[in-house]
Amino acid sequence: MARKQQRAAIVGVGYSTIGRRTGLTPQELTVQAVRAALDDAGLQPSDVDGFSTLGGEPLSDAKMLGMQPLHMFFSGGMSPAYSHAALMAVAAIEAGMAHTVVTTRIIQQQPSGSERLQDAGPPPPIGGDMQFLVPFGGGIPTQWAGMLTRRRMAEFGETEDHYAAHVVTQRHHASMNDDAFFRDPITKDDYFASRYVAKPLRLLDCDYPCDSGSAIIYTTEERARDLRQKPVFVESYALGSISDLNFEILEDMVATAPHHVGEQLWSRTDLTPADIDCAQLYDGFTFITFEWLEALGFCGKGEAGPFVAEGNTRLGGSLPTNTDGGACNVGRRHGANFCIEATRQLRGQCGERQVPGARTAVWSNGAGPFGGAMVLTAE
Amino acid sequence: MSTPELSPPRPAADALTAPFWDGCREHRLVIQRCRACGHYLHLPKPVCRFCLSTDLGYEAVSGRATLYTYTVAVQPFHPYYADKVPYLLATVELAEQPRLMLFTRLTECTEDDVRVGMPVEVVFDDVTPDLTLPLFRPAS
Repeated sequence: MARKQQRAAIVGVGYSTIGRRTGLTPQELTVQAVRAALDDAGLQPSDVDGFSTLGGEPLSDAKMLGMQPLHMFFSGGMSPAYSHAALMAVAAIEAGMAHTVVTTRIIQQQPSGSERLQDAGPPPPIGGDMQFLVPFGGGIPTQWAGMLTRRRMAEFGETEDHYAAHVVTQRHHASMNDDAFFRDPITKDDYFASRYVAKPLRLLDCDYPCDSGSAIIYTTEERARDLRQKPVFVESYALGSISDLNFEILEDMVATAPHHVGEQLWSRTDLTPADIDCAQLYDGFTFITFEWLEALGFCGKGEAGPFVAEGNTRLGGSLPTNTDGGACNVGRRHGANFCIEATRQLRGQCGERQVPGARTAVWSNGAGPFGGAMVLTAE
Repeated sequence: MSTPELSPPRPAADALTAPFWDGCREHRLVIQRCRACGHYLHLPKPVCRFCLSTDLGYEAVSGRATLYTYTVAVQPFHPYYADKVPYLLATVELAEQPRLMLFTRLTECTEDDVRVGMPVEVVFDDVTPDLTLPLFRPAS
C-alpha cells in the first residue's frame, strides 16, 4: 500500500431492521446493517480491511462477516458515539493504514424509567465519580439535559417557544421520510402538551429509544470511483473533548465540546459555514442541535433559538437541518443517521425531502464533554 | 417476608472520597484542596490537575455558592426517589473558586423561588444515620 495521505469517501450505507424491542441481538443488528451497506456499495466482505464500531465487537463482527485479515480495528467506549468510530476509520484510511473500513453503531434499547424502578433491588453503594451524582437523585442523562437547557435559557434568553419551533420543524422533515417512526405533522401546541421529563426538557426534546443497527463503509477516493454509488468525499473532520463524563458539573454549559470541534473542523478545509448546503446536527436532546448550530458558526453564540424560529433550519430555509427528521423521529442511532442522511442528500437520493443540488453537508455527534463532526462533499 | 425499608442510593466512599462524606455527617462541607498551589478540586482526584501535585488534603469551605443551573426532576429513576418527585436538582458554583462546581439538590424552596445566578447556602440533610447529603437553599 502506498504510504501517502489520501482522501476518504463514503461508498455504502445501510440500516438494520429498526424498532422497539425487536428481539434482535447486537450481532443480528450488525449483520443486517453491514449487509445492507455492502449491497449499497457493491462491495464483498473480502474487499474490507478495517472494522470500526461503537456497540459492536470489531474482531468478532469482522470474523463473523468473513472480513479478514484486517489492518485496522477499533471499538469506541464512552465517546461521541458513532462519530468516534467514523473519525478513527477516516483517519486510518487517510494515513494509509487500511483502505476500506466498515463502521457501525449498534444500539439496544435501554430499560425505561419505570422498568428501572421495578427491577431495582437494594441498590449497591455507588463508587467513583457517580457517588457525587446518584445519591442526590441525579445521574440520568435527561436530568443533565434539563440543566444544560436551563442554563442556555438563563444565559441567552432562549425560550420554550424556540424549542417548540425546532421540534415542529424536525417532524415536518420526518413526514417526508419513510424510515421515520413519527411522520404525522405536529404543531407547537403538541409540543407544549408533551410532558416534562426534567423541566424544561420535554419528552419531545428527547431522541426516541429503540434497537438500531447502522453501518457506513469508507474507502479511498481511488476505489470509491469504481463502485456502485456516487462517491461522497470526506472534506474535513474533527474530534474533541473538554471534560470527563460528568455533564452535571461542566464548567461552562453553553459552550461545550462542539465549540472546540468547530474550530478544528473549519481549520482543516477551505470551505466555510456559508458554503454548506445542509446540516445534520446531533439531536439527542433539542438543545444539542442548538449548540452545534452556534459551534459550527451557522449563527452567533446564543442566537440558535431565533435562527431556528425564523425558519432557517427548515427545508427551503437557508440551512436545511436534520432533514431525515432527527433521532427524535427516526429513533436513536447516535449520529449514524446523520452521516447516512448527509450521504443520501449528497447523492441526491432523498426524494421529497431532497435539498436541491446539495453538494456540501456537515454532520455532527455528541455534546458536553465530547463531540465529533465531519464535512462531506460531492462533485 | 416483609418488604425491606427502601434505602437511598449510597456513596461507596473510599480513601479518596471519605473525608467529603465524613465531613457531611459532621455538617461541615469539606472540599479537596491542593497544598502546593491552593486550588480546590471537586470531584476528588489523586492529583491536582492545575499543578500535578499529589500533596492534597481536605479543607472546610464557607458553604456559600451561586446557583449555576437547575432542573425540576419530574421522572424518578430510583425507587427511593419514586415518591419524592418533583425535586430540584442543581449545579452550584462554590464561592471559594471560579468554576468550582458541585452537583446537589435544592431544598426549602420551590421552583418559583429559584433563579439562575441566585446566592445559595449549604444545609445538611441527615438522610440516614450513615448518610448526610449537602443540599442548598436560597441564602438567608
